[in-house]
Parts: sequence; C-alpha cells; structure tokens
Amino acid sequence: MSDEVRGLKGTQLYLNDVHRSFDGYKAINGLSMVITEGELRAVVGPNGAGKTTMLDIITGKTRPDQGRVIWAEHTDLTKLDEASTARLGIGRKFQKPTVFETHTVEDNLMLSLAGDRGVKASLLFRIAKAQKARIDELLELVRLTSARHRLAGSLSHGQKQWLEIGMLLAQEPKLLLVDEPAAGMTDAETMRTAELLRDIAGKRSVVVIEHDMDFVRALDCKVTVLHRGAVLAEGSLDHVSANQEVIEVYLGR
Amino acid sequence: MRILLTLTVWFGLLLASAASAQSLEDLARQLPEGSFNDRAEVVAKIGATGDDRAVGLLNALGEGELRVREADGAVIQVKGRGSKAVGYDPLTGDELGPVGSGSTESIRVNNSLRRAVRAAIGLLTLSSPDAGKRLAAANTAFAAPDPEQIEALDTAIAKEGDAAVRTAMEQARAAAVLASDAPGAEKVAAIGIVARRGGTDALTVLNPYRGDADAPVAEAADKAIAGIERAQQLWNVGQNVWFGLSLGSVLLLAAVGLAITFGVMGVINMAHGELIMIGAYTTYVTQQVIRTSFPGLFDWSLLIAAPLAFLVAGAIGVAIERFIVRFLYGRALETLLATWGVSLILQQLVRTFFGPSNREVGNPSWMSGAFPLGGLSITWNRFYIVIFAVAIFVGLLLLLKRTLFGLQMRAVTQNRPMASEMGIRTARVDALTFGLGAGIAGLAGVALSQIDNVSPNLGQSYIIDSFLVVVFGGAGNLWGTFAAAFTLGVANKFMEPFVGAVLAKILILVFIILFIQKRPRGLFPTRGRAVEG
Amino acid sequence: MASTSFIDRRLGVFLALLAVVTVGVPLANTALSPESGLHVPTYMLSLIGKYLCYALLAVALDLVWGYCGILSLGHGAFFALGGYAMGMHLMRQIGSRGAYGNPVLPDFMVFLGYEKLPWFWHGFDMFWFACLMVLLAPGLLAFVFGWFAFRSRVTGVYLSIITQAMTYALLLAFFRNEMGFGGNNGLTDFKDVLGFSLSSDGTRVTLFVLSALALGGGLLVGRWITMTKFGKVLVGVRDAESRTRFLGYRVEQFKLFVFTVSAMMAGVAGALYVPQVGIINPGEFSPANSIEIVIWVALGGRGTLVGAALGALIVVAAKSWLTSAFPDAWLYALGLMFILVTIFLPQGVLGLIEKLGRGRREQPEPEAVEAEA
Repeated sequence: MSDEVRGLKGTQLYLNDVHRSFDGYKAINGLSMVITEGELRAVVGPNGAGKTTMLDIITGKTRPDQGRVIWAEHTDLTKLDEASTARLGIGRKFQKPTVFETHTVEDNLMLSLAGDRGVKASLLFRIAKAQKARIDELLELVRLTSARHRLAGSLSHGQKQWLEIGMLLAQEPKLLLVDEPAAGMTDAETMRTAELLRDIAGKRSVVVIEHDMDFVRALDCKVTVLHRGAVLAEGSLDHVSANQEVIEVYLGR
Repeated sequence: MRILLTLTVWFGLLLASAASAQSLEDLARQLPEGSFNDRAEVVAKIGATGDDRAVGLLNALGEGELRVREADGAVIQVKGRGSKAVGYDPLTGDELGPVGSGSTESIRVNNSLRRAVRAAIGLLTLSSPDAGKRLAAANTAFAAPDPEQIEALDTAIAKEGDAAVRTAMEQARAAAVLASDAPGAEKVAAIGIVARRGGTDALTVLNPYRGDADAPVAEAADKAIAGIERAQQLWNVGQNVWFGLSLGSVLLLAAVGLAITFGVMGVINMAHGELIMIGAYTTYVTQQVIRTSFPGLFDWSLLIAAPLAFLVAGAIGVAIERFIVRFLYGRALETLLATWGVSLILQQLVRTFFGPSNREVGNPSWMSGAFPLGGLSITWNRFYIVIFAVAIFVGLLLLLKRTLFGLQMRAVTQNRPMASEMGIRTARVDALTFGLGAGIAGLAGVALSQIDNVSPNLGQSYIIDSFLVVVFGGAGNLWGTFAAAFTLGVANKFMEPFVGAVLAKILILVFIILFIQKRPRGLFPTRGRAVEG
Repeated sequence: MASTSFIDRRLGVFLALLAVVTVGVPLANTALSPESGLHVPTYMLSLIGKYLCYALLAVALDLVWGYCGILSLGHGAFFALGGYAMGMHLMRQIGSRGAYGNPVLPDFMVFLGYEKLPWFWHGFDMFWFACLMVLLAPGLLAFVFGWFAFRSRVTGVYLSIITQAMTYALLLAFFRNEMGFGGNNGLTDFKDVLGFSLSSDGTRVTLFVLSALALGGGLLVGRWITMTKFGKVLVGVRDAESRTRFLGYRVEQFKLFVFTVSAMMAGVAGALYVPQVGIINPGEFSPANSIEIVIWVALGGRGTLVGAALGALIVVAAKSWLTSAFPDAWLYALGLMFILVTIFLPQGVLGLIEKLGRGRREQPEPEAVEAEA
C-alpha cells in the first residue's frame, strides 16, 4: 500500500479505505480520497454523509477503526493527536466559528503564528518584528485591521469566520480544512470568501466542506460527493451534478 | 461411678411408666432424703416423668437453691440471701414470701448428683413436646458433649418425629460418642456426622481430635476440619458478597436520584446529600407524630414516611430548580457552586430546627432482627433496604421508559429545541425532572434513616460517593449507575478484611480517580450528548 | 496587549495597600503602646497573617480556575500538604522538649509506640529540606494527578469531582494513625522555628511580614504568568480548548504546568499558615474547605488574581466576625454568598467596583483581564 502511495508524487493527503463506526452506526465506510499539493477541493454531501467525521479523522481527533491516512507520502496521521497534526501543517476551521472570544483580534492572530508551541517558549515569548508584520498583513487580508484591538467576541459572525481563516493562515499550514465557511454570511461575504480560498489554493492545499451550491460553484474546483461515509462521485461540479446517483441522494428517491 | 450413674438413668427410663404413677410433688418431697445415690435415683425418676415443671425443679436443685422449710418439711426454692431471701414454689414458680434466716435447711448437692441432674434435664428437654425446646436441648448437648447422655439421646432419637431435630440429636450423639471411649471406627463415623453440621461449633467439637492417639480418628478429624474450613471460607465469601450488596444498595439509593439530575439533565446538584438528609428528617417527624398520636401505626411509619419524604424533598428540588438552577443552565461549574450554597443553608436550617445532635429514628418490628440463610445471618433492615433500592431503581426505569412524562423528559434532554417545537413545556419538564431526582433522594433518606445517624451532616457523607458512583457508571446511563453501585459496594467489602475499612475506601477512591482518567465517560458511556462543563 | 502595563492600576492599588499593611500592622503592634487606640495586639496580627495566607491560596486557585478553567475542588489538599511539610519540621524542632522527652520521635509517635522515625520523616529536621518539601510535596501530587487527568482529557465537572475525591481520600488517609502524621490530632505543640520562639512577638511579626511578602510575590508571579503568551494560551484553553489544540498547542502540558505552579503556591500558603495558627490537622483536607476557597475567588472576581485575594480577605474576615457575633448565621451567610454571587455577580466584587468606577462608559467587556484601557 505504501508503495502505491509513494507512487503518487505530489500527494498531500491520502485516505485509503477508512472505516469508523459509532455504536454500530457507520459514519465513515470505506472512504478513499487523494488531495494533491496545492489543490482546492470541495466536499459536498447530505447531512450524515460523514464530512465532519472525515475531518476529525484527518486531524487526529477521532481514530479510524480501519484504514490509513497518509500525510505527504509518508506520515501516518492515524497515530497522531490534534496538536501533532496541527504542527505537521494541517489547519482546521470549525463549522461554528471558534476564536478566542476574550482575546483581542491581534492576540488571536499572535497565538496562531507559526513557531514553537512549547510551554517554555510560550513563557519566554517576545514578538519579533517579522511576526508583527505578518499579523499586519493577515489583518489586511481578512479585512480586520480596524478591529485589531477589539475583543474577538464582539465581532460579527462573518468577521469571526474570517478571523478564524486568518488564524489558520497564520499557522502557515500546508493543508487547510475548512468546514462550511459560508454559513451565516451575506452573499457578498460568501463570494469574497470563495475568492479568498481560491487565492490560498496553489500555495497550500484546501479542502472545503460546503452545503451551499452557489459557493461551491464559485470555488470552481474538483468536487467530491460523500454519501454514507464513502465517495459517491468525484469530478467537476457539472460532472457530478449530472450523475444519476448524486441526484437521487440529493433530491430523494 | 459413671457406669453406675448411667445405670440409674437407664433404670429411670425403664421405670418411666411406673414413675409417672408417683406424682412429681411426691418425688420432690423425697429429694432431701437418703444418700446421694438414693437421691440420684429420685432425680432420675423425676427426669423420667417428662413433666415440664420438672426442669425448673432440677435446675433449682443444680443451682443449690432448693431448701427444706423446717416448719413443715416442704421443699422450696429460695432466691437471694439473708434478709432479701424470698421463697418460691419450685414447681409452679409462685412466690411464697420472705424466708427468715435459719428457717430453712439446704439440700446438699455433690458432683455426681449434679451430673445426674444434668442428665435428667437433658432427658426432660429432649422429650419436651415443644420441638423448639428439643432442638435447643440437642444443640446444648452438642456444644457440651457428655458421653453419659448417649443413651438419653438414643431414646430421644428413636422417638423423634421432626427431621431437623433428629439430625441435631444425631449430631449431639456423635459428639458425645467422640467424647466417650468408644472404639475408633465408631468415632470415625461420628466425626463424619459432626462434620456434616459444619460451622464454628462443629470445629470446636472436632478440634481436640486432630492429634488423637488413634491415627484413623486423627486423620478423619483433620479431613473433616479442612472440609468445614473450606465451607466456611465459601460462606465468608458469601457474607462479603452480601455485605457488598448491602453497601451497594445504599450507594445505589444515594446515587440514583443524582443519576437523574446529573446523569440525565447534566445538572450538578451538590445539595443532593441534603435532600437525602431531609428525607431522613421527614421520617423522624413522621415517627414523632405517630408515636404521640397514633402509636398503633408505628409499624407502618416508614410506609407513611416514604411518600411524604418524596413530596417534601421533591418540592424542595423543584424550588431549587425554579429559583437557582434555571438561571445557570449551561454553566455546570456555577451550578455546582450555587447548589453547594443551597446545601449549606439546608444543613443549617435543619440544625436550627432540630438541633445539631443525632435524632432517634426507630426500626419498625418487621425491620428488626435477623434471619439465617445457610451460613449467613441477614438482618432484616439491610435486606429490606436492598429490596427497596432495587424497587426504586426498577420503578424509575419504568417511569422513564413507559410513561408520557418519561418520554417528554428524554425528549427534552436529547433535543430541547425540537421538544419545545413539538409543544412540550420544557421549563416544566425541567422542574419536574429535577424534582423527581430530589424526591428519590428523599426516598433514599427514609431508608438510610434506618441504618445511619440522622443528623444535619447525614448528607455530607453521601455526596462524594454518589457522584463517584454516577461518574463511574457513566453519566446518563441508569444501568451504569446500578452496576457501579453494586460493583463498588462489593469491591469495598472484599477489600475490607484485608486492609481495613478506611484504607479500602481510600483504595476505591484512588481506583475511581484512575478509572476516570482511563475512561472519562464511565463504565457505560452514553453516546452523543455529553455532560461536560 | 502592548497597551497593558505589567502592574496595572488594579494590581498597583492592591500592592500599595498591601505594603501599607505590611509596614503598618507590625508598627502598630510593636511601636504603639497597648493603651493606644491604634495598637494592634499580637493575636490580631497573627489573625491578619493567617488571612494573608488564605489570600495567597485564593490567588493560587484563581490561576487555574480563573485563567485556565480548571475548577479544582481539591486545592485545600495542596495547602494542607505544604502545611504538613512545615509542621513536620516544627515537630522535629521540638526535640526532647516534648511531653515524653524523646530527642528524635515526636510525642505522638512515642505515644503510638513507634520504635524509630518513619523514613518519610527523615530530613525534616533541616529547615531547607522542609522548605523544599513545602514546594515538592504539593507540586509532585499536582504533577502526578494532573499528568493523568489532563492527558486523558478529563475536564469540567468531571475534573472537579475527581479533585474533590482526591482531597477526600487524603482526608481519610491522614486521619489514620498508621500514616504517621499524627492521625486525628495532626501536628501541634510547636515550640520554635530556626531557634526563634513561635510565641514571641518578634517571630510573629516576622511571619506576618513573610506572609504579606508571599502574597505580593504570588500576585506578581501570577501576573507575570498571565501576561505572557503562555497566559494567553491558558485563557484560550479556558474559552476554546479545541481551538487551542488545533492550533498545535499541547493543552495538557499547559494545564499541567499551571496546575503544578498553583499547587506549589498553595503549599507555600499552607507552610506560612501553620506556624501562625500553631496546628495542622487532617481537617484541612476536608472537601468543604476546598469548596470554600472557590467562593473566595468567585466573590472577589475570578480571572483577576487581585480579586481572588480580595475575596479571600472579605470572606474570612466576615467569617471571623459572624462566627463570634452570630454563630448560627455563618452557614446561612456562606450559603447565600455561593448562590447570590454565582447568579448575580459573575464578575465578583472587583468587577462590581470597576463597573461602578467606570461609570457611564460603555458596557464592560466580558473578560476583565484585558479590559484595562
């Protein structure tokens, strides 16, 4: 199997026949998927298709019962916890925006900056000029420069979504896992978010989980349809939406 | 000498029918006369009368309380000495008034006569019409084996109709045979009979023969003793299991209400122990009212107190939910602190009204005493508490699974917005659920008032244990609470003989702390909704 | 972040007041004549010294609860362990002046028929060793306990319950005579420390000043920890633990560090407390004691350090007054405090004061730590 993986040059993430059940309910059932370096990928699927569980498995929050999750051609992610996968370069945005509400926007980004995450380093941490500049840059990117000193808890829903994306970017990850970023956003914000994610892709791999088909269309990328914990169809949005099975799953029998 | 005595008893038995011709009163009058041997014969005849009254007479003789009244030569029983001496009729026990010193003369007794008295008493009680007395006599004979009683026992065995009493008599005979100079083979057989009795008294009888000069006897005794000890160990295990179940039922009682408020609702109620205490005090007040106004109802007091305790504690629970907990949903740690405050206030209220000392709560007659089960002795109060705990548990399960309220409760805890959408009044369900948990704590208090000190501190001693039981079992899972309570109870009691009660408790605490690290969700985790702060 | 100074107004005011007390109370005790209206009798001085120890204990708890969300219901255990470590030294100092006159064995050991000193009593005759143990005993317990608990992600109420079980187990253990810590009676009848009589005014003043310095030091250490990036991570853990993990922080290491530091701080408080009250017994391990610490912090204002110290001082002073003036009323008052503070005063007294002081300015931010201008 690992030979097969090695054969896939430029693979960022490789899931092979992953299974996971909860009390008999098969949340992930033989899921296989390949994400290449710099790829932007949308994952869609009805409720209960296993999208969030898939992210839990990739990030080490949940252990699969069976199957392999290979990172950058050689590291097995199934043995690692969240902090380790984060340190490898996987950033995750939650479905419900999760920022440090009692810290300022700036501190949120400061805490997310790539660097030594140890106890000692944190105690002795002094912010460097380059890091300050990076924070400025990110604030600009997620349009929160004016909110820099505000507490994150006081931001609007859409602003929190962006702050969280900004925090992800501050980690300098190789792969971003983004769970429903457009939820609760206005149309204009949604479009801007799609644009932002398209910009990020190329340098980094991005996996976006989304319900909103307009948003997926705006992403303009390869789409994977999940159903009952496995891949139902894969390809361009037009290709998968023409798939009879996909139509049945989405429109009901 | 011994043979002679045996003969006299034997003779007396032969003459049993003839002796009955002579009245007991006549025989009694003959007691002071003649030589010790003559009088031993009279004693044997008395024994042969089979008259119940004779036991008292012979006992008095053996104790040296029989005296002859000088005035009329009547045989009377005198109790007390000097100026306090009082005379009694030795046959009827009627009081005859004070006895002046020097107005009576003692009837002297020597060892051989005493032996004759004992043998006659044994014979009398062994032939008593009351099966209970015969059994008691057989047991007495077993505990103090006397070869001279063998014949009396033989006679009794031959007549005995009650199987249990006959077995006891046969065992007593075997013990007597062991004490006699019977041949080895007979003794080996006797050892077998004694061993079948089992228990500590059989060990006492057998122990002296371990090193018997007669090798087969010694060997048989060794084997029998080993067998009995094995059996005793088994019963010890049984005893520990019982104690453990008993402790487990107490833990279950204390925890099952918490399994509702903490396990199902996710609310930390630190006043849970005080609700138990309130239940105990409700029992106390109920009993006080019954004692002063309706003494005849005392045996019903617990059954009357139970619904009252449920209502009182339940009402307090509803009040706690409405006035405090309601404002703190979703803030588990704050709830913990606020309800701790409630617990302090409840404690102090009880202290103000009832005082700081223990209050006496009585056991109804049906909860007093004990009954034997094989080699175990089981007290009725513990027995009923186990039954009560299991009954409450089953009742609660049925309530949750089979009633509309149970359905609404589960609906609200699983998906509040959805339940609200469907027209369930969630606030009311919350209050009632909390009240239910509190009411069950009150019921627990009724039971615990029977085995624990009813004082304002009663609740404090249960709160930590009950939380640990619920957490160990897995919050939100009633069966988990059930299993955890009995597991911890039995484990605790099995450790106690080895390390002592306190250390056993410490070890259990440490075990649970480690266990929670390993499985934070407990023995039987519930899926989905977690109780987390 | 840049706009917040290390010693902000809140901490500055408190430290200034503390300095006044540290100098003023001993002066009022030694320099003023007993007839003077401002004279502070020695018992009063020791009483205040005891309060200062409690305040340090509250600061220790606030560090884990206020900043990291770990509601420890067992902090009294760390306090008691520090106290026992100091008590053991003071016991050894008694030497042959005990009732039994044994030069090595403390009285209770002679009474219980000990032949020789248990191994864990060795070394406590040396002051420096005892001081080391004041830090190590609670620190080690916290480290081992925390290592298990945080690694397996026991959080929230579950963690509170097992910390309570921990102190309860220790309570039961220390009650046992076989443990070798004086059982029920604990350790008492202390004579002197480093050659200074514990009953002399000079020693008492010194202990008082040390307690005040320890409180000040504890506040500064706490302030330093919470001002660093480490402290910000702690608050992150408190508010969004999973976010912190997904950013790559090993949450368990952060919790373990702060929990251990906090336990050591509590141990120091206990060690200063024991010579001033003259006894340490297993009652200090009782779960009710530990919960009471929580109300100090909650009442004062959690997540502020200064508030915790303030809360401790307010509550224990109220307790001293009420238990002598209206003995029955104390538990009612304490109970009501728990209820009212959690429902109506989530920011504590300090939050209330600052809210009033801020006047008509905009609504205070939810987290008081960073709300300074």
